[in-house]
Amino acid sequence: MGLSAKDALQLRETLQIAVVKCSERCLYHAAKWAAELLDALPAPSAADLAATKGLPTTYIHPAFTPNHDPVEAALEAKELSRYLLAKSLFDCKEFDRCAAVFLPESSLGEMVGTKGDDNTTAEGRDKGKPSVVLPSERALPQISQKSLFLALYAKVISGEKRKEEDSEMILGPQDLGTITNKQLVLVSRFLTKWFDQRKSEGGDRAPSQGFLEYLYGMVLVKEKNDEAAMHYLIESVQLFPWNWGAWMEITNLITRLEQLNKVTPKLPQNIMSFIFHAHASINLYQQGGDTAASLNDLLAVFPTSSFLLTDKALLYYHSKDLIAAEQEFSQLLGLHPQRLDALDHYSNILYVLNLRPKLAFLAHLCSSIDKFRPESCVVIGNYYSLLSCHDKAVQYFRRALMLDRSCLSAWTLMGHEYVELKNTHAAIESYRRAVDVNRRDYRAWYGLGQTYEVLEMHAYALWYYKKAAGLRPWDGKMWQAVGSCLQKMGRDRDGIKALKRALLADSYYDSSASSFGSAGTIDRMTQMDPEVLLQIATMYDRLEEEEEAKAYMELCVAQEDGGVTNEQGPGQGDSIGIRGDSPGSDDGEGGGERATAAEGTGVTVATSKARMWLARYAMRGGDYETANRLATELCQDGVEVEEAKALIREARSRMEQTGMMES
Amino acid sequence: MSRFLTPAKIGLLALIELYVEGAVPNEGIIPVINFLASNLTDCDLSPTAGNNFNPTTDRWKKAESAIRLVVSIKDFEALLSPLSAADKLPGRRLWDRFLEKLWGIDSLHGLHEFFAVMPGLLRKTREEMRRLGLDEEEEQGKGVRLGRNSPFGAFVRRAHVEFVRMKFEGVTELWKMFVRYRQPTAGYWTRRHPQYGGRLSFDAVLMEGEEEWGGRETDELAVMAYGRMLLPVVGGDRETLPVSTDDVEGLLEFQIEQIQKYGIRIPPQIRDRFKTFLKGSHVVPSLSHYLSFSDSWRSGDFPTSFDYLHRYFDYTMLNRDRLFYQYALMNLAIVQSDFGCHKEAVATMLEAVSTARENRDMTCLNFALNWFFHFGRAHPHLVRELENSSMLDNGKETLAFLRVKAKETGMWILWGSALLSEAKLGMANGESVSVAFEHMVRSSQLIVERNMKTMMGAQLSMNITMWDRLGLSPMSSMACQVFLSCHARSSVFDDELKITYRLAGLLAGKGKYEEAFSLLESLDSNSLRSAKPNQYWHLYRGLLKLRRDLHRNNLPAADTLLSQLLQTGPEDLDQDMVFIIDTLHIESLIRHKDFESAFTKVDSMITSLRENNRDIALRIRLLLAKAHLFDSINRPEKGFSIAMRAASMAWRALLIPLLWQAIGAVANILNSLSEFSAAAQLLLSILPRVLETDVLFTAGTLYNLLADARMGQAGQFFYMAGSESSTEQEKQRGRRKQRELAMRAHAALESAYKYFERVEDVEKQGEVLAKMATVMRVLGDEGVSEGYAARYLSLKRESERVNG
Repeated sequence: MGLSAKDALQLRETLQIAVVKCSERCLYHAAKWAAELLDALPAPSAADLAATKGLPTTYIHPAFTPNHDPVEAALEAKELSRYLLAKSLFDCKEFDRCAAVFLPESSLGEMVGTKGDDNTTAEGRDKGKPSVVLPSERALPQISQKSLFLALYAKVISGEKRKEEDSEMILGPQDLGTITNKQLVLVSRFLTKWFDQRKSEGGDRAPSQGFLEYLYGMVLVKEKNDEAAMHYLIESVQLFPWNWGAWMEITNLITRLEQLNKVTPKLPQNIMSFIFHAHASINLYQQGGDTAASLNDLLAVFPTSSFLLTDKALLYYHSKDLIAAEQEFSQLLGLHPQRLDALDHYSNILYVLNLRPKLAFLAHLCSSIDKFRPESCVVIGNYYSLLSCHDKAVQYFRRALMLDRSCLSAWTLMGHEYVELKNTHAAIESYRRAVDVNRRDYRAWYGLGQTYEVLEMHAYALWYYKKAAGLRPWDGKMWQAVGSCLQKMGRDRDGIKALKRALLADSYYDSSASSFGSAGTIDRMTQMDPEVLLQIATMYDRLEEEEEAKAYMELCVAQEDGGVTNEQGPGQGDSIGIRGDSPGSDDGEGGGERATAAEGTGVTVATSKARMWLARYAMRGGDYETANRLATELCQDGVEVEEAKALIREARSRMEQTGMMES
Repeated sequence: MSRFLTPAKIGLLALIELYVEGAVPNEGIIPVINFLASNLTDCDLSPTAGNNFNPTTDRWKKAESAIRLVVSIKDFEALLSPLSAADKLPGRRLWDRFLEKLWGIDSLHGLHEFFAVMPGLLRKTREEMRRLGLDEEEEQGKGVRLGRNSPFGAFVRRAHVEFVRMKFEGVTELWKMFVRYRQPTAGYWTRRHPQYGGRLSFDAVLMEGEEEWGGRETDELAVMAYGRMLLPVVGGDRETLPVSTDDVEGLLEFQIEQIQKYGIRIPPQIRDRFKTFLKGSHVVPSLSHYLSFSDSWRSGDFPTSFDYLHRYFDYTMLNRDRLFYQYALMNLAIVQSDFGCHKEAVATMLEAVSTARENRDMTCLNFALNWFFHFGRAHPHLVRELENSSMLDNGKETLAFLRVKAKETGMWILWGSALLSEAKLGMANGESVSVAFEHMVRSSQLIVERNMKTMMGAQLSMNITMWDRLGLSPMSSMACQVFLSCHARSSVFDDELKITYRLAGLLAGKGKYEEAFSLLESLDSNSLRSAKPNQYWHLYRGLLKLRRDLHRNNLPAADTLLSQLLQTGPEDLDQDMVFIIDTLHIESLIRHKDFESAFTKVDSMITSLRENNRDIALRIRLLLAKAHLFDSINRPEKGFSIAMRAASMAWRALLIPLLWQAIGAVANILNSLSEFSAAAQLLLSILPRVLETDVLFTAGTLYNLLADARMGQAGQFFYMAGSESSTEQEKQRGRRKQRELAMRAHAALESAYKYFERVEDVEKQGEVLAKMATVMRVLGDEGVSEGYAARYLSLKRESERVNG
């Protein structure tokens, strides 16, 4: 998707203005994002410039672009000096003082009603309004939207800061996650009133700038009023699509694909919504051609955008193509050596690929750039985790959380570490926090399930596994977990269903053939997890459906074939080593299997067990020849030799007997 | 700055690993182990250069090598490149194997792995073996393993623990320093192994990533990760050295120990190196303030040393509570007394005592008491009030108390010094020599038993004093030699200086001035940088010169020297030195023929000595000086009682050299009373013993007196020969006798001349020559007499020429 020279120029201009607008309102991250994107636009060539000669040549700095709303422009002009003061104060992190420049604390209290009617409902307050003193009539001050936004935003930020200061040590006895931002109520009431007033004034006014809607949406999100928040956020991006913060809030609100599809038509149709769609799909672990294609289109416009490249790498990561993801990240690192964003994901990938030296280097790099960034701490924590220094890893994850309590990956990874340290309660709490921060984090759900499974609370575990499977329906591991959980609970039928689904999901990756439902596909599979097959078979065995069981057992044994045997260490597949089964490294196993897929799994514990079962089955069925052959194979593989030898002896004697009988 | 680990320590670990792997060839084992041991522990196994001991270089060698090792990898190269590796491949040096190990650590992760395998070098504990299901033989079959508590094992374990405890930033810091430390060997390494060559050979990740990232980006990344280290150095900002707190503290302790043990200052080059060490560290260990304090104390910088002492105790107050306050005070008192603020020192020490009493710190109390004793000996007027009120009114009882206490608490040094002090006190009071000897033998046994090398100086100087007092100068000079050649290197420099001076004094007594001077000049120049020894050194030289000048009758030069020496009051010097200066002053006054002032000076000194109950020897000396004074004004008989008293005191206290002098004074008086034969008898009986003492001037004087006595006797016979009443035979006998006695007088004079010539005493030489000329004339040998007269005149001219 190339852009014409004129479009490109326009896009550049718009982005420039967006950066200025965002930074005027102290939306630092949005400004940074837009500026990064701007930088990723290729410089216009001379020919392009020549083509656009017709445009006005006088250069105006974007900061001085005129405001098209005359009322707002007049207000802004009047307040300029006060606004500058407020902005400087905000930049110096004196948030309360900044807010007080436009909205003094005392008048603010009057405007939104005194403490006394905190408990009354909105209607109650409306009714009470006429009876209260006069000032509430002229409650809202006449200031420009920009200043109002800055003041209220400063309030919110100051509230966040207080909250941060009040919160206790990470996972300490007092750290219940219940501390709230006390300024939110105030701001939310103020904005309700503002929007009410605006609505009542009718539609003759010029459209608002969109930022107050964003702020209100943000506040509503914090109050967990998702519906209303979505409404205001969409309104905000309609009015001003260049505020990436608003898009991020929307992304965080969307937890399911259906929701995304529902929201999409309401969004404005421009490049921003395109980016948003791609980003949101990736965050929902979507994969497939269309997301990749749209990303590629975007990359054609912004060839060096670190944001888009990160997304691309994440896309590979989520679709389990770790090698490609690693390469993407590595290139990104080369392009932007000082950029720490998303490097925590990179470290996860390196962890799974077991690229220790590279992970060590990455940790070194991060710590030399800024050792007090949550990302750096997560990278270092991951490295220590790889070295099996779990206590140190926990220390670094805690540090990351200290720096940013909403650091999702740190919570999840800390959960993993606590599992390693056999501190299940702390692990559960960490996972829980992760889920609270972001409900789409399947790894945390899976971890919760895992931990409960260790505690032998299968009903709980099942619930969490189902959540995880719901988030990643095409991930075999999830279904396998669900299946084994069901198996342990004795619900074999459901278990079989789940495990079959796991097989399908795995095949979905390998063959990219998305043919759900039909059991027939199983036979066409190139590679399946013998573990799963064995589980299905044993369940069928328990249900006494021996034919089915036999079929699956045979399928399991068949997985061995494929030339070079790749000995897996005994016990690896079998044990419930937590980390081994936890999401991070089962991706690893997935990767490992991919690598060895062409050669077959070789003899594993699972296949040996299946073979033993088959030998016994053959024995029972009187097929001594087969039993003998299978048992001999078992002997050759060196697994359960004693038992196999006993089987051989028995089979031989039976064969001789029958031979004698026949003769 | 890390706490313990440095690149150099990684090098040592790698070397230990090589040793464990058996890569060290047989002939290299001893150097390698010696190298490791000298860097891990304090011991140095290399055969020390026994005879050609050079205090400056050898004493500081350890500090030097520690610094060198930390700063560069060259030390390893020097050690390892001459050794060939115990290896199949020919021509491979141990150095190559070592580099292989170091360059094998090819990334930060490599460093982690290097440390992760460290515990594998150790022998497994029983517990571990039980867990792993191994039995002992199996374990033993696996080659060399380090014992867990062996020096190497302890080092390996410590290194491992320290690494595990390190924060990630610390590890990256260590890695970066290691890369820099190793970099000088890059050229050699890539020549030997071209496959590892390249610009980014120091980090495998970067090297591999270069293909992926491209050259410029990789450079960018490398600079981001390794920081300024890879860029050319900007300006004069030198990089910090890769040291750890452990290194710095070790060095600090070593330096302070050197200062305290030998009383010498740090050589400037080592001090400068050490400063660059400290530059890079955020945390300056408080001990370094103590080092600065000691250094400035030694250099005589009074305000600075006080400043640093206070600073040191301010910083240590932080973590050690007020537990060490009394030690701070004690230090302060010692410094104050060292700088001559004796009153303040007493006050401070009293406070130290009361604090120590509060804290029940017996060690500190005992030290304080010991100090008070010595201080009281040196400055009696300051502690008099204290002594009056205390139970221990006598020094003797204090010492006995100290001795018992020290024995109880096991403070051997204090015990030894108390014994020595007791011996000294006994001698000073003129008590039994054998009791003093007993004390000395006991302390000697203690010193040998406890191997207290530092006490050897005190012990031997006591010995020397003892032999001196007994007039056995060969013994005392032998003791000097023994100390200087055997014990000097392990004792305080002050002792060395003092004993060298003693030896020089003995030599000067024999008239070997040049030898004495060259002995003093040969002292270590670095040790003389300390203020106090330097001051004493100058003083000693001044005294020697003054003695020579007085002998040579070079009065103007002697006056100049004296005027300088008299400046140094009792605050700066110990009393004995002041006394020596004063006696020399008296002698100079006598030579100036200013008898009046000489007499007043002697009198005042005698009274002050009596008040302060000082050493008996000094009193005898003063008495003799007074007798000599009477002699000088030609009224020797006035000094009769004085001389007799001196003689009896010296006899009682067995102060042999002084006894002979006293007897000489008596003989002189006898001479003046014309009791010539009694005088001659006295002198003849003591002269052989006098010669033993090696004090040639006394011998010369006594011979001179003998000659006088002989001449007196001859004169009696002259009367006999010349008197009318005697018979011819008697006259004959008288003349013969007279001639014989005159010849004897001449012989005595010749001996006297010989000795005076040896000590270069011009005046006495002249006197003796004049006497000889007279004797010869009496004997009628005019020619010889003329010859003596001519020599006398030339001597006079010579001395006048010398004195300008």
